[in-house]
Amino acid sequence: MVTIADYKGKVKPDWCPGCGNFAQLSAISGALADLGIEPKDSVITSGIGCSSNLPEFINLYGFHGLHGRLLPVASAIKWANPKLTVIGYGGDGDGFFEGTQHFYHTAKRNVDITYIVSDNQIFGLTTGQASPTTELGMKTKSTPDGNIEKPLNPLTIALTAGATFVARAFSGDALHLKEVIKKGIQHKGFSFIDVFSPCVTYNKINTYDYFRKRVYKPDTDTKDFNKAYSLAQEWGEKIPIGVLYDVEGPSYETSDPVIAGKALIDIPPVKLTKEHLAEFL
Amino acid sequence: MKTDEVVIRVGGAAGDGVQSAGLIIAKTFTRLGLHVNTYNYYQSIIRGGQSWYQIRASDKKVRSQGDGLDVLIALNKDALERHTNPSINEGGASPLTKDGVAIFDKGLTNFQKYDLDYVEMPLNEIASKHSKNALMKNTVAIGATMASIGIDFETLAGVIRDQFGNKGEVAEQNVNAAREGYEHYKANFKKLPIKLKTSNKRYYLMSGGETLGLGAVNAGLKMYVGYPMTPASSALHYLASHQKDFGIFVKIPEDEISAINMAIGANFAGVRAMTGSSGGGFSLMVEALGMAGMMEVPLVVYESQRAGPSTGLPTKTEQGDLNLVLGASQGDFQRIVLAPRNVEDVFYLTREAFNLAEKYQTPVIVMSDLYVAEHYETVENLDLDFKIDRGKIAEPGMKDYKRYEYTKDGISYRAFPGTAGLTHNEDSDEHNEYGDVVSDAVTDPTLRVESMKKRMKKLDAYIKSMPPTPTYRYEDAEYAVVQWGGTQGSVEEAVDILRERGHKVGALEINRPHPLNPDIGKLLSGKKKIVVVENNYTGQMNKLLRSEFLVKTELVTKYDGESFYPGALADEIEAVLKR
Repeated sequence: MVTIADYKGKVKPDWCPGCGNFAQLSAISGALADLGIEPKDSVITSGIGCSSNLPEFINLYGFHGLHGRLLPVASAIKWANPKLTVIGYGGDGDGFFEGTQHFYHTAKRNVDITYIVSDNQIFGLTTGQASPTTELGMKTKSTPDGNIEKPLNPLTIALTAGATFVARAFSGDALHLKEVIKKGIQHKGFSFIDVFSPCVTYNKINTYDYFRKRVYKPDTDTKDFNKAYSLAQEWGEKIPIGVLYDVEGPSYETSDPVIAGKALIDIPPVKLTKEHLAEFL
Repeated sequence: MKTDEVVIRVGGAAGDGVQSAGLIIAKTFTRLGLHVNTYNYYQSIIRGGQSWYQIRASDKKVRSQGDGLDVLIALNKDALERHTNPSINEGGASPLTKDGVAIFDKGLTNFQKYDLDYVEMPLNEIASKHSKNALMKNTVAIGATMASIGIDFETLAGVIRDQFGNKGEVAEQNVNAAREGYEHYKANFKKLPIKLKTSNKRYYLMSGGETLGLGAVNAGLKMYVGYPMTPASSALHYLASHQKDFGIFVKIPEDEISAINMAIGANFAGVRAMTGSSGGGFSLMVEALGMAGMMEVPLVVYESQRAGPSTGLPTKTEQGDLNLVLGASQGDFQRIVLAPRNVEDVFYLTREAFNLAEKYQTPVIVMSDLYVAEHYETVENLDLDFKIDRGKIAEPGMKDYKRYEYTKDGISYRAFPGTAGLTHNEDSDEHNEYGDVVSDAVTDPTLRVESMKKRMKKLDAYIKSMPPTPTYRYEDAEYAVVQWGGTQGSVEEAVDILRERGHKVGALEINRPHPLNPDIGKLLSGKKKIVVVENNYTGQMNKLLRSEFLVKTELVTKYDGESFYPGALADEIEAVLKR
């Protein structure tokens, strides 16, 4: 039996005390263990940022790559070996600035991976600049007079791009977070989970208290795109969390003529013969 | 006019069927057991403009597009005037020779005339008898061309049938149109004094893009990810059209950054994967290239050069990316750069690249150029026997596994996801032997030094194992002509010309630009002059040779977008020798 202890990494996380990433580390570990997935069959790819350091602190196959580029890496790992459970994990700066095009297109392709974003609405590791989800008016190191760019909405982007699973969770509600992650991992196709993850050092607005007062779990029909889209736009006094959208659709790997039902890693190299050269005669 | 070889050029606008006509001619010669070399002069336009296709054939090896022009098929007035003009401005291509023939439709009138043989043919008239398709006139002209050099018609008929889907009506219409063109020419015009010695030899007619794909497949390629960019696309097209036969996953992602990260991800997962582009796309890949170096993930990148800078000349050749490839990405890490000299060399070096990448767990870049990637030439044989060497791969449950163990040769065991007992993290941050990051909480300067040394000493074994640098007519050479990559054919033919003129020259051919084989230093020592030939402005290899081997060199360059022509190159080298 797999337990959460199996996922415990030998390196202690170096995040700030109280960081929202701790809850996600334990929720991801717990979700994988609950689903009976062994560490050897789990892969986490990450980008660069505080949250992206996570693969260093968990026992599985980790790939701590480049800022914004975790999804192409994750996709290819899945295509190479679909027996693996592949999770992409990074921050809002990573995923929604440099990684935007990968986010959009991976959702559109419906690659069978789970993308979890630790969304703290700020750049943490670079010490507090405005990120793509920083709220309007917020003063940061890069916006001393207040942020004049409207924050982007990762959920509506994912929905528009064609993601088949779109959810939101909150590091302040660890049990719910774990359940959402479990559903995301079990989903066949691209699952996207945006997690409110308060940055206790650089974001004094979107705090645990801020979200505790606002989040609620709507009872919704997760097959209804319009409802999901509408809920995704709710922001203010009430902010919905949970699975907003969850539909079935053919994933990329089940539709590709070469890898459908197969693993590239198991296909032996083709033995070239003179027959293969006949077309050049 | 040389009588043991022929140079034919088809000129017209994009959309006129210039390239298809050229390929039919090239295939016909190939099936006649002749050596063939082709050259595609085209523009970044789908319809219109001016383009041409040149075919050179002989029973002797033809290593470049060659000098001279014996038969011109002009599909429009512009082509007719352009290729008959003695002061032609086509990057070194010759105008029609005095005793050659220009074949064109008799409807072309009021063109600038020179003292040449003009063969006005009823191309359109004959074509319209056989089909409503206006491009059929090209087939008529091809028939006439074969008659002009006394080639038996049936081989051409066979190629046309293959080209147009064998038995169908269209195929027969084309064969009949070609036959009528053939007969019409024979009855009315002169036969050129060319006598090609055909044979029963079976050569392959291939482009460098195709042999790149084949070499990769031979090496066990499982995934090719690339964004379309000329001239790297010919490899992508070959692989995509064979993906099911070869069991290869082919993908165009959202950008080149994604492409290289995917290729790295697949290699990390244990599958041989490759990405490819031209200089522009490669520039986007630069950051990830360094990541592969840092994380020690094997990676093969195909970099097919075209004339830069920036978008440059999208359909023209150049060797201007050497500095880019050698310096790509921040920090010091090891890379291997291979630069095949011809279509066949592409096959062998590409498949070797995959073994090198896994053996040394570092990026290997196969540098080609538009000339090599897109021109067709005959290849006598490809040896398909190849041993895949995947390097150090850990067995499940290996004791005290360290992904980045400090070893004598700098290479440690890889463990693929899914392997029991060997979970670990691979990191773009500096890390210790286990893969644990040492850049955040504690930076250990001693450990940093150890990790750098581990990665940097990896290629010591490769350098020792490098085959001797190839040479041509070099044993008694007093002067060295140094070439790298795709200029080999023109340089060798220039050497032949210079030898005939009494100059003791030989060529040194660099197809492994990095790391450079130390034997180059010895090969260059004692030469009266060293002439470096490059398809770029600044002489990037020239500078490299000077700094690596402290030699005095002379430089011959060409950066007009066209590849070297042997005659003109010989003259330029001769001028340097006499200087």
